[in-house]
Parts: sequence; structure tokens; C-alpha cells
Amino acid sequence: MTEAALPAPMAAPPVDRERLAAIGFVLPSFLIIAGVFALPLVLLLGVSIVDASGLTLAHYKRLLGTPYYLWVIWNSLRLGLLTTLIAFVISYPAAFALARARGPLRSLLLATLFLPLAASVIVKAFAWTILLRSDGIVNETLIALGVIEDPIRMIFTESALIVGAVNIFLPFMILPIYAIVAQLDPRYAEAAATLGASPVGTFFRVILPLTLPGIIAGVALVFSLSVSAYVVPTLLIGERYPTLATTIAKAYLLAREPGFGAAAGVVLLAIAIAVVALSARLSREPK
Amino acid sequence: MSESSPHLVVRGVSKRYGPTNVLDHIDLTIRRGELVTLLGPSGCGKTTLLRAIAGLAQPDAGKVELAGRDITNVPPHKRNVGVVFQSYALFPHLTVAGNVAFGLKVRGMAKREIDTAVERALSLVQLGHLASRRISALSGGQQQRVALARAIAVEPDVLLFDEALSALDRKLREEMQVELRRLLQEVKATAIFVTHDQDEALTMSDRVAVMNKGRIEQLAEPRELYLRPASLFALNFVGLSTRIAGTVLAADRGKVDVQTKIGRLSALGNFQAGSPVIVAARPEQLRISERGEANSAAGRVRSVVFQGSRTLVEVDAGAGESLLAELSGRDGTIPRVHDEIRLSWPVTETFAFPMEAQA
Repeated sequence: MTEAALPAPMAAPPVDRERLAAIGFVLPSFLIIAGVFALPLVLLLGVSIVDASGLTLAHYKRLLGTPYYLWVIWNSLRLGLLTTLIAFVISYPAAFALARARGPLRSLLLATLFLPLAASVIVKAFAWTILLRSDGIVNETLIALGVIEDPIRMIFTESALIVGAVNIFLPFMILPIYAIVAQLDPRYAEAAATLGASPVGTFFRVILPLTLPGIIAGVALVFSLSVSAYVVPTLLIGERYPTLATTIAKAYLLAREPGFGAAAGVVLLAIAIAVVALSARLSREPK
Repeated sequence: MSESSPHLVVRGVSKRYGPTNVLDHIDLTIRRGELVTLLGPSGCGKTTLLRAIAGLAQPDAGKVELAGRDITNVPPHKRNVGVVFQSYALFPHLTVAGNVAFGLKVRGMAKREIDTAVERALSLVQLGHLASRRISALSGGQQQRVALARAIAVEPDVLLFDEALSALDRKLREEMQVELRRLLQEVKATAIFVTHDQDEALTMSDRVAVMNKGRIEQLAEPRELYLRPASLFALNFVGLSTRIAGTVLAADRGKVDVQTKIGRLSALGNFQAGSPVIVAARPEQLRISERGEANSAAGRVRSVVFQGSRTLVEVDAGAGESLLAELSGRDGTIPRVHDEIRLSWPVTETFAFPMEAQA
């Protein structure tokens, strides 16, 4: 637009070196993402709408039209929603405690948060099975204490699944909230108080809105991780609680129905994208 | 309530952080409509005193009364104070109008009244046209005005400014000082400013409290503070001065003769003979002359600094002492560096302070 305003006889503008350099920096990551991420997704989408007879929506009809598979989708959603909700309730106050902690205590708390990320999710899920099985530590302790006489069934229940999922995905909720809370100027709360807001009013009118970006990031992360979790439901509850992720695995590995598996994958992806897009929309600052 | 009755009373307020006495039995009484500055270096306790008045810091001892009410144990949100913070602390998730309306909303005021009050407060700081802007879209000076409008809108019993102008650049700050004083007088606000900037203190306030090490060293009108500093600290903190160490030779009815390294000087003050003192005078009292009846000292000009309407001349008086004179063009010729000159100044404008109080 500015060029139009320039006098006509000017020579062609010199090549914008900065812009070229910027493209150069972006190109490698763009190629990798396009090659290993976008392309497979397109293929996945393609596979989900073909079968032996050509283009078809049969896979989607089967997935969205069969009560069993609707129950599977609901299981995935339940896992995602419950894990996210419980993780949020635990994480929000924890993030404040973490931000308020000083010195060695803060380092210790941060280490307990980061170290589990270094362990594989399989290891953590197995750890839970050891804790929760009928001759596991929890049952034996309760029996030794005389609280119960016979072991209670803990492993392979939905409670075990949710507890395990919350535990494994908790850092992904705490860290983004903590990052925001740690930056929060204490003057905001003081200003609200001197303006007449009670501590409760200050929380809902100032603290909560200002920490919302962290909450939304944490919710988006934990939901998309838990809704698509495969190892956690497989190890902690198994066949009794089929999810989209386990259904996809079965379709590919056992049933050899790549078209159906791809359709389930697309639905799962759509759910995750919907939540992330909604979060992005919510986190956009007010006009 | 009459204009002169006490509006804000601070009585024996003390506060310790660990071994430090941040506030040491502070007494301060402020009248309705008065503009008072707490002036002092960082760490002198001025901000803590302001926070104690706002309810953001709980004193260990003492009382705070505001508008006839003991607020010592009242939480900040029930005190009806307005605070303008150094960082402004404007809520980034709200618009300009949303920020100004905040205090009114939490008071449960009707929407129509809120709108009127917000409009009034914003027009007072000349920002009515920016009501729907986001905070991040404002300049520093505009944010400062929004913070002021937000604090004023709730009609607080006292407005507290914590280094509120220090984030602005010099020119804008000086304009705001004058404008803020006019505005506060217009709305008949009672206000306390915390600052380390002596110019700001002298410009803005009816009275200035010079604070040092958790105590108020002097509470006086700006003019009196400058002309009759109560302590060496107050003398040093506000304005320039010549200071010469010496020992009292003789004392007589509020006047002392002091032996210094550059000769005998007379000064106002009550001391016993033999006391170590600092003799001081403001630079505009020193003149080039040969008069014999006043204090005088001679020396070689070390530096001449032209500052527009005045010229600061520093004279090396020997024995490590120096004199500082502020000369205007009317005083005849301004000396040059290395000139030998004699300066004299009236005894009635010469102060003596105890030596150990040196800051």
C-alpha cells in the first residue's frame, strides 16, 4: 500500500533481506510439520472416507450410529472431563502455594512436579496398578490397620482410572497456571481491596479473570491428553472401559479395519481440536 | 466537620520487620483538605506508613483514625481510602471505564449512577474520550490519570499516592505535579503523597513530613522546611547548603560562636560550649562582599555552574571545607574559576546542628 504512494519513477525496491532470512528460519520447522504431521493427517482423513467400493461415510455412520460406539465416545469424554475437572480443582490452589513458596521449598515443590515428567507414562501407570491391586500396598495397609477385612476392588474401576489419569496429567495443569500466578502483581489484589472489594470479590473480579489464560492453557492440555490417553485406560481399567484411543488401536492391530480406525481417529481429533479452539477463543483478551 | 479539625490521625504507630524499626512511634495529624507529603530516602518508612494508613500493612502498635473513626483494625476494603500505586496496578482485563467503575460496582451502586460517576471522574482527568480503551493501549501518563480517576471515583476519605509520579518522565512529571495539585484542591481531597523527590514534595504539598529511619524528623510547610530545617537530615534532604564542622566556643541566648577550620562563625542554635556542631547556610544567603559584621570566609573558586536565572559557585575555603553560593546576575560580576573571592552571609540565616545527627 505504501508503494502505491511512492513516486512512480523509483527503481524496484531492493530485495527484503530480513523477510528472506525470516522465511529461511521458518522453513525447516515448516517442512517437518508439513511432512510428518499435516501429511499423515490428510492421509488419515482420506483413509477414513474410503472403503473397497470407493468413497463412503460408512465408517462414520458405524461410529456415530451404533450405541456401543457412542458409549465409547462418551467414555473418552468422561475420562477427559473428569480428569480435567479434578486436576483443575487440585491444581489451582497448588499453583498459588507454589508461587508463594520461597527458597528451598519452592525448588523442592517444582522438582516434585518436574521429575515425574521424566518417567514414562507406562511406568507411572504400572506404579498405580502395584498400589491399587488387591494385594497392593493400599489394600494391605488398610487390612493391617483393621479398616477393612478383605481387599476392596480398586484396580480396574473408573475411580482408579481417574485417580491415575489425574496423577499423571497433573503437572500439565499446575505448570501453566503457576506460570501465570507467579507473574501476578500482588498490587492488583491490593488495589481491589482499597477500592472496596472483599477478599471473595477480589478473587472473582480480579484474581480469577487475570489467571484465566493459565487455566485455559491447563484445561486444553490436560483435556486433550486425557481424552486421547491410551496407556492409562489400558493398564488401569482395561476392556471394561473402551475409549476412542483403545478402539483405534483395536481397529488397526486386531480387526484390521484401517478405515474405521481412521474415522475414530478423526472424531477424537475433532473433539480435541474443538476444546483447544474453544480455549483459544476464551483466552482472547476482551476488546 | 470544620476545615481545621483533624481528619486523619496517626498515633504512636510502630512497625518492625525483623530487627529493623521501620516505623518508630509515628505521630501525624492531617486536616481535612490538606495535601501532605511524606518525603525521605528509600527505606525511611514512608511507604510502610502509607500502607499502614491504607490497611495494607498492620502496625505492631499505635492507632489510625480516619474521619473520626478508629480504623486500626479495619480491613482495607472497609476503610474508604483511595490508593494510586507506583505501578498504577490498573486491571488489565478491564477497560478504562471498567477500571474506574470497579470501586463503584463492588459497592453495589446502580448502573446509571456508576455511569455518571465514571464519566465525571474521567472528565476530571480529561480522559473521557478513552473510556472504552484497553489499559495496554494507553501511555504511561494516561495510565497515571486512569489510576487517579479510579481512586477519586469512590470519593475516598483520603487519597494515598505511593510514588505515583515517579514512573513518568521528568517533563510530564512536572506538568502532572501542578495539574494534580489543582485537581485535588478542586475536589477538596485530603491526600498523602509518598515521594523521595524533594521538588515534588515542595510543589504538591501544604505540609511536608521529612522522614528518616522510621521517624518524622520535621513536619512543616515547604517554605519553613527550606528556610528553617529542624535537623541536619532535613537540611540535607531538601535543597543545597554549605556545611562546615566546628566546635562551640561560646553560647548566648540562641546564638553560638563556633570555631571551625576556616575561622570563627556565628550561628543560631542552643548548644553548650565544647559541643561539636555542623554550621550550615543556604547557598542564596552567600554574597560576594567585604562586609565585616556577618559570617564570612575567603577562598578560591573551584567551579561555576550556570543554571539560567542563577549561577552556583563552589569555593574551596581551604582545610577541606567548601562554600556553596548561589549568585544571581544582579549580584554584579559572576566570578571565574580560580578567582580568589570572599563570601559573607548573615548570622540570622546560619544554622547549627549537632554533629552526631549527620546523615
